[in-house]
Amino acid sequence: MSDALTQEAEKSGEKKALVFDIQRFCLHDGPGIRTVLFFKGCALRCAWCHNPESHQARQEVAFFAHCCVQCYACRGVCPKTAILTGPDRRIDNPLCDGCGNCVASCLTRALRMIGKTWGTADLLAEVRKDRDFFISSGGGVTLTGGEPMLQAAFLEGFLPSLKGDGIHVTLETCGHFTWADMERIAPFLDLIYFDLKQMDSARHESYTTRGNELILDNFRRLAAVFPHVQPRMPVIPGCNDDEKNIVATAAFLHECAMETIHCLPYHRMGEAKLGRIGMGRPSPDPDIPHRPDLKSVVERFAREEIHVVAYD
Amino acid sequence: MLSPTTEITRCSRRINTLREAVQGAKPGVCTERAMIWTRYFKDKENRKKSPYIQIAEALTEVLKNKSIRIYPDELIVGNYSSKRVGGAIYPELHGVPVIAEAHTFAKRKTNPLEMSNKELRQLLSIVPFWLPRFLAMKLDTGFVKKLALIADQLTAKFYLINELGGVAHIAPDYAKLIAVGTEGIAAEAEGYQKDAPRGSETWCFYEGVKIIAAGLARFGERYAGLAREMALEEKEPTRKAELETIAEVCQRVPRLGARNFHEALQSLFFAQIAVNLESLDNGICPGRIDQYLYPYYRTSLMDPSFSSRQAKELLAAFSIKMAEIIPVFSKPMMRFHGGMFNGQVVTVGGVDESGNDAVNELSDLLLEIMDELRMRQPNFHARVHRSSPEAYRHKINRTLASGSGSPALYNDEVIIEALCRHGYKTADARNYTAVGCVEPVCQGKSFSSTDAALFNVPIMLELALNEGRRFGSFFRSGRKTKPATQMKSIEDVREAFEGQLNFFVKRLIGDLHLVEKANHKEHPTPLSSALLEGCLKSGRCSTGGGAVYNFSGIQCVGPADTGDALYAIDRAVFRERRMTLPGLVELMRKDIPDEKWLLYFRGLEKFGNDEPEADGWTRYVIAAFDSALSGYTSARGGRYVPGLYSVTAHQYFGKITGALPHGRRRGEAFASGIAPVNGMDRKGPTALLNSVNSINFTQIANGVNLNLQFDLALLKGEKGASILDALLKTYFERGGMQVQVNAFDPQILVEARNDPNKYPHLLVRVSGYSAYFNDLAPAMKEEIISRTVIASVR
Repeated sequence: MSDALTQEAEKSGEKKALVFDIQRFCLHDGPGIRTVLFFKGCALRCAWCHNPESHQARQEVAFFAHCCVQCYACRGVCPKTAILTGPDRRIDNPLCDGCGNCVASCLTRALRMIGKTWGTADLLAEVRKDRDFFISSGGGVTLTGGEPMLQAAFLEGFLPSLKGDGIHVTLETCGHFTWADMERIAPFLDLIYFDLKQMDSARHESYTTRGNELILDNFRRLAAVFPHVQPRMPVIPGCNDDEKNIVATAAFLHECAMETIHCLPYHRMGEAKLGRIGMGRPSPDPDIPHRPDLKSVVERFAREEIHVVAYD
Repeated sequence: MLSPTTEITRCSRRINTLREAVQGAKPGVCTERAMIWTRYFKDKENRKKSPYIQIAEALTEVLKNKSIRIYPDELIVGNYSSKRVGGAIYPELHGVPVIAEAHTFAKRKTNPLEMSNKELRQLLSIVPFWLPRFLAMKLDTGFVKKLALIADQLTAKFYLINELGGVAHIAPDYAKLIAVGTEGIAAEAEGYQKDAPRGSETWCFYEGVKIIAAGLARFGERYAGLAREMALEEKEPTRKAELETIAEVCQRVPRLGARNFHEALQSLFFAQIAVNLESLDNGICPGRIDQYLYPYYRTSLMDPSFSSRQAKELLAAFSIKMAEIIPVFSKPMMRFHGGMFNGQVVTVGGVDESGNDAVNELSDLLLEIMDELRMRQPNFHARVHRSSPEAYRHKINRTLASGSGSPALYNDEVIIEALCRHGYKTADARNYTAVGCVEPVCQGKSFSSTDAALFNVPIMLELALNEGRRFGSFFRSGRKTKPATQMKSIEDVREAFEGQLNFFVKRLIGDLHLVEKANHKEHPTPLSSALLEGCLKSGRCSTGGGAVYNFSGIQCVGPADTGDALYAIDRAVFRERRMTLPGLVELMRKDIPDEKWLLYFRGLEKFGNDEPEADGWTRYVIAAFDSALSGYTSARGGRYVPGLYSVTAHQYFGKITGALPHGRRRGEAFASGIAPVNGMDRKGPTALLNSVNSINFTQIANGVNLNLQFDLALLKGEKGASILDALLKTYFERGGMQVQVNAFDPQILVEARNDPNKYPHLLVRVSGYSAYFNDLAPAMKEEIISRTVIASVR
């Protein structure tokens, strides 16, 4: 966890969350009307990640060029001289320590802090705003990221209150977490969306920087004890939509007594975000076509007797 | 005997034919009312009579001499105007300025109206007679003041007094007319008249009621005669029989009480025409027809040859007739009331006077009709409450999710409480229907001038920042309040704002009192009064306060803009100290030339995002407006109550108002009704509804309008309908008052704008009412396109 976070937590003795976005009225991350909490920080670096601003477990300054009027008020307040000139980039991210002075100085919100720390009570109050809508629609709260499990210490204090409110909780996870954390948190979850990206560990590592052993192991253990775990696969053309991976995935699902997988088509939403936080194109660049052929993925899974729920 | 399927086909064929005839007709101006009215008043002998008798006789003359027609396939008859779809001119009310630009009607881009050269010449010929005689000239004040008021109203910067065109906005007691007929009403008036001294004002009022009761009865009989003639000539046996039935029905009603469903509807529609022709043709509402027509429906069902299918056909035929009635607006009026809309509300569902759910088969049939017809009139409303049947809610949600735009929804619990808080008896409050756009009244008991005036609230802030002057003006229009240099806190700004608000509300009320008295003195409404409880008994016309309830509604236009602007001042000047107040005023005067400040202001929190502080300012504005109105009583003895809907006035008022510090440049439209500033609801519909729910609507007795615009794709299927249900249910359970739902593919609106022929009858909800997209002014089309569309987040 980031220095800033740790320091603050030490000061108050309370665990804080680092959340980079809260979206309300989400309809595709679990049943009903949902508020989705995006936790910052992730162990994987998937080449296709559409939330690149979620990677670092610390606050980062992002630059929105279309809002900038080039007044350079930021330059006067930066203690690290990390302000760049020119139309496209403003922050020299490696130099930046995230103090936030420039963000405060920016009248037009061209500079924004990605990631906000939340105490349990405040975050609870925030999600409770839509509680009536959760109840009437059968919805609730979805934890996503980044990887929410990296902030298990916070969740441990946060989730029981949600449960106490009768709010349905869904977790979306990449699967790369410590099992002991899951054991503590699972009693407060109603549904887990669990990503299975690639069955071949070497290929998994080449696309995400980590092997899949821990992920598959976690999935096996979870499937055995948790009744509502739903495997999902982001379908990335050329990375995991091949016959071999689908057959292997299906075999793994059968081994875990699973019959259904949710398939999400890859989209390029993340690309626009890269420049804002000083990131270049990911490496290795998968050079992915715009729309994967979900139909053939569905058919191939069907041949392996796995039912696919395909997303738009 | 027809088999059920052929019967269904014939019904739907007839309804389709009627609908196509009405939708395909080019709207026109009918001169008949204006010419007959003028002829009556040109007679000096008539001008000596009591106004009650004048109006009753003039209206009787109109009904006696206007052209009458029965169109092919019609079951419910009665042509409002000489055109298939047409509007009348009221030269004695607001007609003179309308005639003054009548030559442009055929050619104007928005809402063109057909008229022959002969008709135009006719209309122009009556202007000299009415110029010194129309309502505004009859105000009881000095000549200069009168002209000043008229001139002020032509540009209407601070408020627009709709009541200068008449009051109207009633849900008449049609149940009574249907039950006892005009003869029953005349007999009642006769009974009361006996006790009044002959020739007294009260006596004349009763006399007027008797005259128009007889006139209305004869109006029906004219159609009986016509139908008989047509039946004689008709070769086709089915149609011949239909014409004979029509003749029989019209011979009986409205003179006598109706005996069955057909007669009840016909009686109602004759009266609907006559009440529209009596004074202002706006907000004349049949109201809760599913309730008061129900006994006739049950009676008709006892006849084995009558089925609910036929009831639906008659109801649909009636609905289509309502769409033949349109208003004729001059260009200045269209700025406020776009879309050829005249607010004839039909309401379904809700509770009865004892508080039990009152949904019945007619409510269901009407829900089907509004979905199948999708025409601009009538303005269909549905009442809902906590115990509304699941099937009823579901039907409404399915209809809305499919993009019908109707019905608009009204929350019984909140509206009934709002009316009770403002003096209604519980049973009367439970019998409410909205009239016009969204304004609740009691069916048959309220004479509420619900659209008395529209008030430009944000311009009060412009004046407050500038010592009572408009930006760039030497003249002081408002009160001299503290200069910006001396305002030390946001409380000082508030004080100046309230100062301007109170100043102009006071001025408005003064003007309104003149108008109210003139309406009563010059243009009483004996027919409307006969259909409003209290008037006959008290012997007082509704224009003189004879009805049971007498609110006047003043619309608070631009509350969110004003609230957001005040919040921005507080943030920028007093809390963040980004600038001084005079510096801010200077920026506004220069129309925020600096992109940096514009972005800054626009980026501040805004109403509609569930942020308590920003929302609090909009609530403050509404409360300030309410409190400014609260001390006054109208000449009819009723209260002035605030409404939160803007028709299309938010565009016009926005156009003439200077820059404001929430990042709105000069001339930009304000937000509609209680909506957030366009595009400023950034957190989706749940946050928006939470913000709107933070307003206590039981204070807003004149109604509120909330538009929710959905991407049709979002509402697809069962999941979509259940999401909509969850949103609306929660909104209402927590005190929401009204909501209307637009659902369409956003692309279709853009296509419809680019090529008007592509979707000629695309119906959209504007502000408390529906209009064909093509009938809207370009700016209003753009606004609808740019309203935040609730789509799926990912």
